[in-house]
Amino acid sequence: MKLTSSHYAARMGFGLGVLYLLLATPVARDWMEASMSRHMLVQMPLLVVIGILASRLLPTHWQNSVLAHLGGAIPFVVVALFASTYWMLPRALDAALNDPVAEVAKFISLPLLVGFPLVLAWRRLTLIGRGFVWTNFISMLAVLGWLYIVAPVRVCNSYLVNDQESAGWYMVIGAVLLFLWWLGTLFVGGGVGPDKPDRNGTGTSLA
Amino acid sequence: MSSPVKRSVVITSLVVLLGTWVFWWGTDGFTALTAETARRVEILRSPRPLPAVTLEDQDGNIFNLQDYQGKLLAVDFIFTRCTTLCRSMGMIFKQIRDLIPPESLGRDFQLLSISFDPDHDDPVSLKKYGQTYGADGKIWRIARVPDKAELKSLLEAFGIVVIPDEFGGYEHNTALHLVGRDGKLRLISDIDKAVPFAEQVVALL
Amino acid sequence: MASYTYTPTPDQGAKASVVAYLVVSCVVLLLMMVFGLLMRLEQSQFTAIGGLWFYKIMTLHGAGMVGIVAIAGAAIMWHFLRQYVELSTGIFVANLVIFLIGVVMILASVLIGDFHAAWTFLFPLPGTSMGMWSQGAAALFMGGLLVIGVGFVLLHLDIARAIIKRYGGLGRGLGWPQLFGPDDGNAPPPAVVASTMVTIVNLVGLVVGASILVMMLVNLYVPTFEIDALLAKGMIYFFGHVFINAVIYMAVIAVYEILPRYTQRPWKSNKVFLASWTASTIMVMFIFPHHLLMDYAFPKWFLIMGHIIGYLNTFPILIVTGYGAMMIVYRSGIRWDMCSRLLFVSLFGWAVGAMPAFIDGTITVNYVMHNTLWVPGHFHTYLLLGMVAMVFGFMYYLVKPDENARDSAIDVAAFWGFVIGTMGFTMSFLYSGKESVPRRYAEHLPEWVPYDRIASYFVILLLASVLVFVFRFLTRLGLAGRDYQRASLARSIAT
Repeated sequence: MKLTSSHYAARMGFGLGVLYLLLATPVARDWMEASMSRHMLVQMPLLVVIGILASRLLPTHWQNSVLAHLGGAIPFVVVALFASTYWMLPRALDAALNDPVAEVAKFISLPLLVGFPLVLAWRRLTLIGRGFVWTNFISMLAVLGWLYIVAPVRVCNSYLVNDQESAGWYMVIGAVLLFLWWLGTLFVGGGVGPDKPDRNGTGTSLA
Repeated sequence: MSSPVKRSVVITSLVVLLGTWVFWWGTDGFTALTAETARRVEILRSPRPLPAVTLEDQDGNIFNLQDYQGKLLAVDFIFTRCTTLCRSMGMIFKQIRDLIPPESLGRDFQLLSISFDPDHDDPVSLKKYGQTYGADGKIWRIARVPDKAELKSLLEAFGIVVIPDEFGGYEHNTALHLVGRDGKLRLISDIDKAVPFAEQVVALL
Repeated sequence: MASYTYTPTPDQGAKASVVAYLVVSCVVLLLMMVFGLLMRLEQSQFTAIGGLWFYKIMTLHGAGMVGIVAIAGAAIMWHFLRQYVELSTGIFVANLVIFLIGVVMILASVLIGDFHAAWTFLFPLPGTSMGMWSQGAAALFMGGLLVIGVGFVLLHLDIARAIIKRYGGLGRGLGWPQLFGPDDGNAPPPAVVASTMVTIVNLVGLVVGASILVMMLVNLYVPTFEIDALLAKGMIYFFGHVFINAVIYMAVIAVYEILPRYTQRPWKSNKVFLASWTASTIMVMFIFPHHLLMDYAFPKWFLIMGHIIGYLNTFPILIVTGYGAMMIVYRSGIRWDMCSRLLFVSLFGWAVGAMPAFIDGTITVNYVMHNTLWVPGHFHTYLLLGMVAMVFGFMYYLVKPDENARDSAIDVAAFWGFVIGTMGFTMSFLYSGKESVPRRYAEHLPEWVPYDRIASYFVILLLASVLVFVFRFLTRLGLAGRDYQRASLARSIAT
């Protein structure tokens, strides 16, 4: 993506910073984290989205050189995969509530280790790579949702069992909607990515 | 590192190694995916000292948790208005007590049900709860922690998280706890494992 | 209206990877047919291999046949689609390798682990073996299916990528601008339309299939994570039906591509053609409830929907394809050789095979027919005389020595042996179904045995014919990769 103007980038960056700090305020955290659904399906995705939008503001040549130095798209996808999976562990959710260190780790790792690597990797991924990330993510979401719905035990000590079940349903519904949306993008021809993963680092435009 | 492919392979492997290590570290070697399991695994590995708290039992007697030192103590957490799990907890505690040789009861092993709801649970309701399950008030006492700060530190030490539900009651992690003769929490087990729990106690007598 | 004219295209030989697909296909197909014969012989009381081996063979026969027709169909689709869009050979080969890994897992599960819960892995059977097979065997079987599914997802993602790149979206791949707007004659060729349809439905089907497989694997090891049995059945049959339906839509590309070469008449992607493929894209995903019509616990609207869409979906593509084939052949003076014969008879097989399903899709009939041999009668006609005939037609085409080569009497005899063998064998299935003989039974009552014996003789005839087909293909394999004109021009154009 070419920056339309540095003015725009500065405003966007400022907006994202404000949103990030807003999410970090005790009031917002208390409200978001009071329910499992809001915690997992609103607060955490928002942190990732902030990371994604912020990373897209970085200069293109800078993104390219980071990618080139750190071995291309695959390691970045793997980093995002590990980091996002970690925060899906019930134990990590509990820890974020009870341990300030874990909470800080969450606020830093979601934008930095999920959003940022995805942005960098995405531009190099063809439809196969993107399809792999999408189908992997969607199926993980659906299966996790199902596990939350049918789990015979309360997986998080900090949340009500009803909350766990409704979070599970939201995940399953979300997975179905995401899948339909992704199929829809294939129908209109979007989401394909570059034809070949370019290795020389010139980079094609972001989808 | 010459070719980009080689670099990609090396870095990906490093990332996978590091990621696996983080998961290993964060789940106690892939054993504890939930905070509840983690709590149990950790207690088994290193028994945890408990804070000094003052309790009040169903007859209004004031005593300390430390008074039990030198004996094995089974602890569970309840609130008397509970209509679900705490009721079966009562039955389970009764079952455990009946599995222990009578000569050890009181002398070497006691039971304690602690209410985390001191506002509602006065000695009268504690007594009523105890009578429902045949607690004698000596070998098996029902007690509350009147001081809020002490209650908080006790719950924290045990790893009990209590959250209000939408019906005016509470949801909390329910388990059987065993405090050793040294006054340290040494075992936490599932409430459907009453028999193995009792066997463990008998082995330690 | 747009006009369509036939533009002759040079006849391309198959890439080595396509040949590899076809060789694997005919070897496995032959082996699975032998397994089929073994089951019929057992029911005929000619042999006594016992229940355990019967059900093991039945499980292998089902999983093997579904897998191998998908592989053969993919070979046809990929061979022709490659002439319009840029496909990745690496992924095509990877799919075959992944498939073979899955096959090894399934073979080990059944032959070593004694798994025999049928290929449909219907919940909760794989997990409740009563000690007949181990947890590991069930996991290996479901894992094998999962692995095969992953390979096909990769293949379809690559096809989607290629179609989107060339045409600008799957909607355009189905010819929607020409379907919903003015027909400018630029609709994608039939091969692309069919591949697009198959890719869409298979991606959806495979994702659902993989989800239920993962859920069942979790449930296998942690039974407290319970699965709703009705949900599981719905998901399994959604996946299974979509996947097995898609094979004929892949194979029919051979008809669209090859028949026009004989008569030099174009196969038109006109509005009717496009409309029927778009309609089937949607309907194929909603007809699986005809497997569930006996489950009264399902909501009524769901079953009625299955009934109606099942009726509707029988026709569009079948009629459009049948009519299209007639238009190509009618008064063209087409020269009948093994390839054109097999392709033409495949449309007959498809039409005849669809009828029993149409009848079985009626709720009141389904109650009494679905668990009888009527249903195997349906899908054996449909797959063997329809889909597999297309595959053999394609094979004969690839290895036809030259434009004017004549078929030997043995091949012609094998063709009729194939047709008569299949008809006789499937008729005995259908008649047994009418007589209420249950399906999936190792042992039959004495009254049923005569039908089983008649079927066995026809299967032997069929097997002998297929042996000729396979032998012919394998001995002439060298020709498959060359580029030369294979179709004999029809008398109306040949001068």
